[in-house]
Amino acid sequence: MNTMIKIARYHLTQPVMFPGLPWATLAFAFAVNVARGGDNFRDGVVVIFTMFFIAGVQRIGRWLPFSLALGATRRSFYAGTALLGVSMSLVSGLVIAGLQAIERATGGWGLSITFFRVPYLLNGPWYATWLTSFVGLSALFVYGMWYGAVYRRWGAPGVLAFIAFQVLVTLAVALPEPGRVWSFLYSWSYVGEHLASLSALDLTGVAAALAVVFLVGGHATIRRAAV
Amino acid sequence: MTPVISVTGLTRRYRDQVALDDVSVTIGAGSITGLLGRNGAGKTTLLRILAGQEFPSSGSVRIFGLPPAENESVLRRLVLVREDQTYPDINVRHALRAASWFHPNWDSALASSLLDDFGVRANKAVKNLSRGQRSALGITIGLAARAAVTLFDEPYAGLDAVARQIFYDRLLADYADFPRTVLLSTHLIDEAAALFENVVVIDRGRVVLDTAADGLRGMVTTVSGPVLAVDSFTEGRPVWERRTLGSQASVVTVGQVSCEDRERARSLGLDLTPLSLQQLVVRASGWSAGAGYLATRTSA
Amino acid sequence: MPEMAGLDEGGPLFAQVAERLAGEIADGGLAEGERVPSTNELAAFYRINPATAAKGINVLADDGLLEKRRGIGMFVATGARRRLLARRRAEFTERYLSPMLSEAARLGIDADELFALIKEAGHERGGVPV
Repeated sequence: MNTMIKIARYHLTQPVMFPGLPWATLAFAFAVNVARGGDNFRDGVVVIFTMFFIAGVQRIGRWLPFSLALGATRRSFYAGTALLGVSMSLVSGLVIAGLQAIERATGGWGLSITFFRVPYLLNGPWYATWLTSFVGLSALFVYGMWYGAVYRRWGAPGVLAFIAFQVLVTLAVALPEPGRVWSFLYSWSYVGEHLASLSALDLTGVAAALAVVFLVGGHATIRRAAV
Repeated sequence: MTPVISVTGLTRRYRDQVALDDVSVTIGAGSITGLLGRNGAGKTTLLRILAGQEFPSSGSVRIFGLPPAENESVLRRLVLVREDQTYPDINVRHALRAASWFHPNWDSALASSLLDDFGVRANKAVKNLSRGQRSALGITIGLAARAAVTLFDEPYAGLDAVARQIFYDRLLADYADFPRTVLLSTHLIDEAAALFENVVVIDRGRVVLDTAADGLRGMVTTVSGPVLAVDSFTEGRPVWERRTLGSQASVVTVGQVSCEDRERARSLGLDLTPLSLQQLVVRASGWSAGAGYLATRTSA
Repeated sequence: MPEMAGLDEGGPLFAQVAERLAGEIADGGLAEGERVPSTNELAAFYRINPATAAKGINVLADDGLLEKRRGIGMFVATGARRRLLARRRAEFTERYLSPMLSEAARLGIDADELFALIKEAGHERGGVPV
């Protein structure tokens, strides 16, 4: 059996936390939305994206030590975990697309709820929703994995430094026009304006590119992590 | 001896200390070696590096002729049981199943039997196990894996003397049926002394003793009795320590004691007590004069 | 230290194992032609490393006291008991008489008293021909 598959199976000995918890959280958020009725929890599907990020952090942070004890290499553990996250993203994306279709067909579950529809991002045909969700969930999972790797290698101080580093990079990108920085920081609508000029497909491409960056970065980080 | 583990000039430095300092040691195939020394001597660091879980600062480590870190062909044939192993959110059964996928020689029947011996229930979450039960789990994995290179790092935390004896007995029994290369680090030396063919003693990151265990037994003896008799008996023998109280003396002397020596001691009214392996290691670890002497006399 | 069925730290374990086996042969506990415990059986009994047990057996085998029968195990060689007893006879003076004489000297027991003591002890034991 290929080692990566062994790692995926290793993770799935405990499916409750992943993919269980992200979906349970989503279901809970949906239930709350239905109970309150109407427009109270717009774009609630975002919740599952956050949970995939958290799962990525956990699956590296907490599952690495025993995997090394089992005799896996860091390389295969990292790849196997990424494989797991991407697979779950693929399936989850399809389910989200399906639920979105049902939501549209039932006029928002008979209550005008827009839980599975997000303006710009998840509002198109089912295959676009599937693709964007798949890439988005994967990117966030892999992003979380990088945090997990940083934690394993440098501990909590490392994570703080990692966050600071990213803030600096973002600022550096925006810095050529200082004015942008302030409007960026103080106005989320600026982001919305800027992003609105890109189509959902472009954003999906950006997310995919970021996912690759995260994968490479996380791998480079975990290679020398000691346990 | 076919070397299975070859460590040459291994050094591991951290920001504020040197955990291992120019360590060189060779472990042969099919043997049980005791890795002995005080807490903090560097035993755990060495084992972690051997298992590829930590990286050297300098020097070389070869297992089956290859560096173990990130090397699947080596790691597949190796298992490290650590006292401080962290597990994810799984239960005992999951841990054993995962282990069975990664260790080609895994024996499920042995694993079940060991869990029974130690009284650990398979569907209990690992994080809910007591310290002793966690150690039992680690030992179960370590033994059932039947890995060609089996490393134990003080695997008995929280286990009482009876459970520890179960561990030693099961280890010996399985080792007899399925020989492998075992490296067992412990600070409870006398308990495990009879298991070892060889001992490696580490003190403050350095190897201070590396020799066959049987070569050490009876090597150092305490001679006690009347001062004059003691001095007469130990004349010409290297002496490590000399204590007197009134007309009595107690001297620690090096060198095997023959039958004639014993008879002579008895005729002089002297008492001869050999130092146990544990006492020897204690001396090797802190007593530089003794350690230096032992090293030159007994290096294999 | 766990009881190693009587082994101690006084010398190499393999030598002690060999000595005990030899003692068993000399006492007649292990008859000639009888199978000797295997390496693994000895290791389990004494709770020692099998290699150590094997070494002990090899000492006796090299001495011709044990012979190997391929595929079955180690057996007590013919004449082993006789040879061991002869050896012990030769050592008897050194091992038992000399210490006794030294101790007697130490306590100031002269030859006559010594003989008397031996006779007495022999009677109590019942049947030692002195």
